[in-house]
Amino acid sequence: MNNLLIWPVAVPLLSALLALLWPRRSTWIGVLGTALSLLAVVLVSRQVIESGAIELALGGWSPGLGIALRADGLSVLMLLMSTLVSMAVAVYASVYFSRSERRSEFWVLWLLLITALHALFLSGDLFNLYVTLELLGLSAVVLACLGGSRESLQAALNYLVLGLLGSMAFLIGVALIYAGYGTLDMAALAVAIESGPTAWLALSLMTGGLLIKSALFPLHFWLPPAHSNAPAPVSAVLSALVVKAALYLILRLWLALFDEVVTQTAALILGLLGGIAVLWGSWAALQAERLKLMAAYSTVAQVGYLFLFLPLLAALPEGTTRDVALGALVLLALTHGFAKSAFFLAAGVIMQRAGHDRIAELGGTARALPVTAFTLALAGVALIGLPPSGSFLAKWQLLSSVFITGQWIWLPVIAIGTLLAGAYTFRLLGYAFAPGEGVGPSLSVGREEIPAVLLALVATLVLGFWASAVWELVPISAYAGGEG
Amino acid sequence: MNLTLLPDLLLAGMLIGLAWAALSSDDLRRGVVLFIAFGLLLAIVWARLLAPDLALAEAAIGAGLSGALLLVALRDGGGADQHATKPSTLNRWLIDLFVLVMTCLIGWVLWLTIYAEPVERLAQLANAMLDRSGVSNPVTAVLLNYRAYDTLLELVVVLAAVLGVVVVGRERRGYREAGPVFHGLVHWLVPLLIVTAGYLLWVGAHAPGGAFQAGATLAAAGIVLRLAGYDAAGLPDGRLLRWLLVAGTGVFLLFGLAMSFSGGGFLQYPEAWSGSLILIIEVAATASIAAALVLAYRGGRTDGWPLMDEKAENREVSS
Repeated sequence: MNNLLIWPVAVPLLSALLALLWPRRSTWIGVLGTALSLLAVVLVSRQVIESGAIELALGGWSPGLGIALRADGLSVLMLLMSTLVSMAVAVYASVYFSRSERRSEFWVLWLLLITALHALFLSGDLFNLYVTLELLGLSAVVLACLGGSRESLQAALNYLVLGLLGSMAFLIGVALIYAGYGTLDMAALAVAIESGPTAWLALSLMTGGLLIKSALFPLHFWLPPAHSNAPAPVSAVLSALVVKAALYLILRLWLALFDEVVTQTAALILGLLGGIAVLWGSWAALQAERLKLMAAYSTVAQVGYLFLFLPLLAALPEGTTRDVALGALVLLALTHGFAKSAFFLAAGVIMQRAGHDRIAELGGTARALPVTAFTLALAGVALIGLPPSGSFLAKWQLLSSVFITGQWIWLPVIAIGTLLAGAYTFRLLGYAFAPGEGVGPSLSVGREEIPAVLLALVATLVLGFWASAVWELVPISAYAGGEG
Repeated sequence: MNLTLLPDLLLAGMLIGLAWAALSSDDLRRGVVLFIAFGLLLAIVWARLLAPDLALAEAAIGAGLSGALLLVALRDGGGADQHATKPSTLNRWLIDLFVLVMTCLIGWVLWLTIYAEPVERLAQLANAMLDRSGVSNPVTAVLLNYRAYDTLLELVVVLAAVLGVVVVGRERRGYREAGPVFHGLVHWLVPLLIVTAGYLLWVGAHAPGGAFQAGATLAAAGIVLRLAGYDAAGLPDGRLLRWLLVAGTGVFLLFGLAMSFSGGGFLQYPEAWSGSLILIIEVAATASIAAALVLAYRGGRTDGWPLMDEKAENREVSS
């Protein structure tokens, strides 16, 4: 019995209920609840690192009849990213929302979002995954509404409708799987699923639904307005974590559950879409006139990079080379999570000081807000993939997988994408470090600037120097049938 | 052809026809009314398929409450002419074609898995374990025991949804006070709905019924009250409302955690107690679901919903 696994879900949920009951204390409850969730995740991670994958059969029923929670290397890494990012963002949000009349609702929904993320990364049951997806989508949409402007409501409504469409497709896929294999437990399914019409249709429906949620080109159109119009702390978690949750599920489905079903052609199609996303998203980020819009388009591009790995993973034989490529994928996702949340928080600081986020008018930022300007530079390093960031190592590995598999087509995509990323980052830094009066001198509050710079440091230094830990953790699998 | 098949074919045909009519209606109000009719017919279909639990849920939530929410959204949504925005003809054809292809594919696969090569599913196991679940209705056993964690998270989804309603705006204006005839009807209808909700809740342990159906029926009582001019629709305000919204999830979660502290697993009820524990959880869940649905029908935050910064609001007023 490993009741430890329920705590990353139970702690934020309990805090959310308390925050709803005591609205006047909601900021304290919110920050404290986020910190305790971090503690719970750390305890779970320690156990996984020490003794391998763990499982908890809820209610004492055997998985299948009941629901199992599982934690393995991949889920622990995602959990750690989501809890560290949300801790930093919570500290920032405690200042950002300190004067908002909606702050009680913000903190409740914030904690519900963390509940949903943790539940999703821990779930070992397909239908339960659908429920966590619904909770994640709904709390994300409501958080995105908190901006209160007409554009943010319109963007949130689009986000809601498309998210529901995605969940519906996922649910139909789950129903087909249950009809075909008689169980929803993912460990059992990893062994049972074999190639056939049921598996093909279910995989396409589920992947299609998740592609909407992870905003892969051409299903990305809802993302830039929704992410750029939300309040800064919300944009940070939407871009860094919520999009990654859908990607995590795609990885689980493609690599563990449906590994017998996935064909090279299907992976190639997703890879091509990813390639277009890299080019188009980077180009749009270069054209963007607003800082947050630029960050949102950059997310579209970075999601594209992650999908480039799929055809490579499908081509590589199982074994060390594939694990290394998978580790690089996860490392890139983690680096982007930290870097992009840092970027959005820095954008939020600038926006609150300057009253706008028009890139061309950001002159003087470096003098007025040196820490924030430094954050933008560090996050930029990670977004481009310069050493010593985690994404440098990940892209290096991506290139070497391209050489091993001989899929040369991805080479120009990676090269042009990286150049474009460099262009949009340096364009921004050029304006931010130029002299000017765009951002007036102001008192800076440590609680606003420091979380962002810490996140950026994790992306550029910690993930760069301790990347080997990621490669060691990823192969720890709870789905023996899929990997073996 | 078997003669008993005829009513079923008729039902299926009408169901597809109603769905098509609801989707293709230019007038939004007509579309909503057709959607309600579709829900009621679907409830009958579920009953014909020997799934009375689903039939009850579909009638109460799918047709009843969703219909009421859609109608009230239409009332407040804008002016007199509410027409659906139409996609271009080409897009429409493409969407129709896509949906048709997907429907055929899904239908084909379902036929394959259910008739051509059926596999053993979990129903047998669920029934076999029924003695140890504390209830004798297998649906309730799945919802509140085997897969209680799903239901817990679904209650959280309802909570997140109603918070969304609260965040987006203030509640809508109420209705005029009802005339004497409707007023008299309300005096009969509301107690009847409350008793029905209590019955559905209680009977859920061994027959079709349960927290979601009971909550929806209780919410219907609130909606009737609001239609008759009682603006609060039977909901308390302020702190008590928050407690009501939290009750279902809170009781569920605390019970689950208490069990993991007392030596079992999370949500692992002690066998002797499971029947009573499930009933308590269902009572709390019914209250929360009903409160959430009625609040959604009222359409936004209530006057007593605390706004956090009175100072900020005063500034707004004075400037």
